[in-house]
Amino acid sequence: MKQMRQETIRRIISLVLLVVLTIIFTLTTDTFLSWDNITSMLREAAFIGIIAIGITLCIITGGNNLSGGLALGMVCMVFAHLYHYTSMSLLGIVLVCLAAGLISGVFNGFVVSVLQINDFIATLSTGMIFQGITYILAVRNQYGSITSEMIKNPTIQSLGGKFSNGIYYVTIAWLIMTLIAQILLKKTKIGTYIYAMGSKRTSAEYSGISFIKIKMTVFIIAGFCSFVGAMFMLGRMGTCDVETGAALSLQAVSASVIGGAVFSGGRGDMIGTLIGVLFMQVLRNGVLKFNMTTAQQAIISGIIIVLMLVFDAYYNEFMQKRATRAAAIAREKEGR
Amino acid sequence: MSEKREVLFEMKNIEKIFSHVHALDHVNFDVRKGEVHALLGENGAGKSTLIKILTGVYKKDGGQIFMDGKEIEINSREDAANAGIAVIFQELSLIPTLSVYQNILLGKEISKFGFISDRAEKKQIQDLIDNYGFPVKATDIVETLSVAQKQMVEILKALATDAKLIIMDEPTASLSSRESELLFKIINQLREKEVSIIYISHRLEEVFNLSDRITILRDGKNAGVIEKEDIVPSEVVKMMIGKEVSESTASRELKTSNAENVLEVKNLTHLGYFNDVSFEVKKGEVLVLTGLVGSGRTEVVRSIYGADPYDSGEILFEGKPIKPTVRRSVANGFGLIPEDRRTQGFSPLLSVTKNVALTNYDKLAKSGFVKKADEDEIGKKAVSLTDLRPANPNVRVGDLSGGNQQKAVLGKWLTRDLKVILIDEPTVGIDIGAKDEIYNIIEGLAQQGVAVLMVSSDIAEVLHVAHRILVMREGRIIKEFNDGVATQEDILLASSGFVENQEVA
Repeated sequence: MKQMRQETIRRIISLVLLVVLTIIFTLTTDTFLSWDNITSMLREAAFIGIIAIGITLCIITGGNNLSGGLALGMVCMVFAHLYHYTSMSLLGIVLVCLAAGLISGVFNGFVVSVLQINDFIATLSTGMIFQGITYILAVRNQYGSITSEMIKNPTIQSLGGKFSNGIYYVTIAWLIMTLIAQILLKKTKIGTYIYAMGSKRTSAEYSGISFIKIKMTVFIIAGFCSFVGAMFMLGRMGTCDVETGAALSLQAVSASVIGGAVFSGGRGDMIGTLIGVLFMQVLRNGVLKFNMTTAQQAIISGIIIVLMLVFDAYYNEFMQKRATRAAAIAREKEGR
Repeated sequence: MSEKREVLFEMKNIEKIFSHVHALDHVNFDVRKGEVHALLGENGAGKSTLIKILTGVYKKDGGQIFMDGKEIEINSREDAANAGIAVIFQELSLIPTLSVYQNILLGKEISKFGFISDRAEKKQIQDLIDNYGFPVKATDIVETLSVAQKQMVEILKALATDAKLIIMDEPTASLSSRESELLFKIINQLREKEVSIIYISHRLEEVFNLSDRITILRDGKNAGVIEKEDIVPSEVVKMMIGKEVSESTASRELKTSNAENVLEVKNLTHLGYFNDVSFEVKKGEVLVLTGLVGSGRTEVVRSIYGADPYDSGEILFEGKPIKPTVRRSVANGFGLIPEDRRTQGFSPLLSVTKNVALTNYDKLAKSGFVKKADEDEIGKKAVSLTDLRPANPNVRVGDLSGGNQQKAVLGKWLTRDLKVILIDEPTVGIDIGAKDEIYNIIEGLAQQGVAVLMVSSDIAEVLHVAHRILVMREGRIIKEFNDGVATQEDILLASSGFVENQEVA
């Protein structure tokens, strides 16, 4: 019998988790499957999802990215700062924001690939830098204290809107970006190289694939995701403060892991991350409706992530040992 | 293969010098078109240096290389690949989570504007596979394949680049006999398609069966080239070893041969690693397990120590059955000098004293606290027992030379009351002077009555140190030399599968 691949099993587990959770909440509450609740869940999920796209790509290269949410917050604050203190045109401000998002990616990519710093530590630190910049740029009142800035620009506000059927623009943006990222991963050279780099770096490099180029690519895409997420976030909130986006990174990393991305690299895809994001959101929402506390919700997602990590850590080793034994027993029967 | 084909590849007067040592001394080597050419020699004879030169890992210090009659320079892996040279690595270089076709075409994708034409790629690779009839599919994911299949993918990868010369380095080391047969069939197919192969293996039997020619290296020099029809196994082995007169071990016969058994192993089996292993080690005896790498020697020792599990069989210590765990073994007076001292033998950032103290804290720290004076004393004791240099117990072990690092590892156990010491390849990467000192320490331990079970691949070392020798092959003990008389040839032939009077089929 051919062994099932880690990816296949993980996909099945995450789908089952999502379906089971959805069924439980549907049966136990009246409002869970209402159209209003679904569209609003998909809106919240979209913000985690957009950040998770970039993070998943980083994880597939064998890395991580803990700074995605903080970069989003920084881009939001760049917008608020220019909006409040300058008379730049909207287009100008948006372009500066785009540049800020991309530069955050280049910076991460540089630290991770050129300086060869471990992704986890590197992005933990760069995230702090992004947060520091957010505080520096924060809009202050006449006494010098940080205030949250109202963004009254109608174009930006319209980004928080929805179609007549109730689905929010941000949800559509998330799904389109997920699709594009999936095509990138599965149908292009870059995608193959991203998997190759994460799966076995030296072999990939011997095939002429550049570590620096691949790392730069995924972190710049992650920076772009932070920019897009930031624009929709401003539209959704209508304000910006120093805490915006800070919680997103960890939720997005959790979603990637639940969806099948593995920290050792080479595994995971956008469909998995989509499922992971939906799972995180259903859990969050259902828990609210269940009157469970945030603590209970955190414990549930924490336990599930640990179980997934345990599975990742031991599955391949276990299957390999089993195969060695089976081969040995077969040899004995062969009578050599 | 009686007609002589034309020469494809030639190396002339190749020289390589590592810090004043001639690793290769005017070596000549050539491969004909469609020939399987085996490269034989003992460890350190220069085989891997030669291969590294022709694949661009090392730069040669002298000599010329010709491909198809034209002189070429090989300074990098790319140069080698461009010249049509491909290596099937012992450590497979495939990407586990990608498919067969993605692996073969990695870096050379068929694409338009960056988008891969999956269909064209799959078809091209499936055609290649069908052409050779390998039992793999283009869409299989590499990590789901067996070792043998992965090797086939490596070979396909070489063929996809139109390699004219494929180097196989110990290709059967991790294959079952049935898988090996399949590989041999593939090699014969390649030969028919005019692909040349350089074949390196310690398994002489398969070398003799497969090769059209054999080049033998010894001490970095040519020791001979033999055509298939002239192969005589015992002659080949003599050329590898280079001594006409057999060296015997009669001088090391155990005087206390009626001493009691300290360690007894009965029918020990760990499926997939070793099978039905039985032997005993007497008080004051040095028993050496030898054989090829991967024959299960290290695994036996680790199971006896309790570092790995086993499935069935019995281990007796001083006549009583024991179920070893590492803690119990240490408490019973066992010590282990592991194969890879850098990762398993010592902590490089700690001093000699601290390293030695690690195995002695049961006595040093009965209350949980350690007296620095006690610790220092045991560090000094270790230094003097092993004649460690510099004679300073406060040096970090990581800063010592290889030989002195090994002495520090020995010191960890010499400072205890040892009954049994398990030693795995003690002198790998250690210079000759320090080797002798380590042999003296081992001999001294035996004289004090410690039972020594040692694993070694270095045949000269085995003969020098052992009272008794067990040869392992594919997880089983296949030969015992217990009369104190064995020669390098005997051991080499037994390890490679020629037991007693068995000749090439």
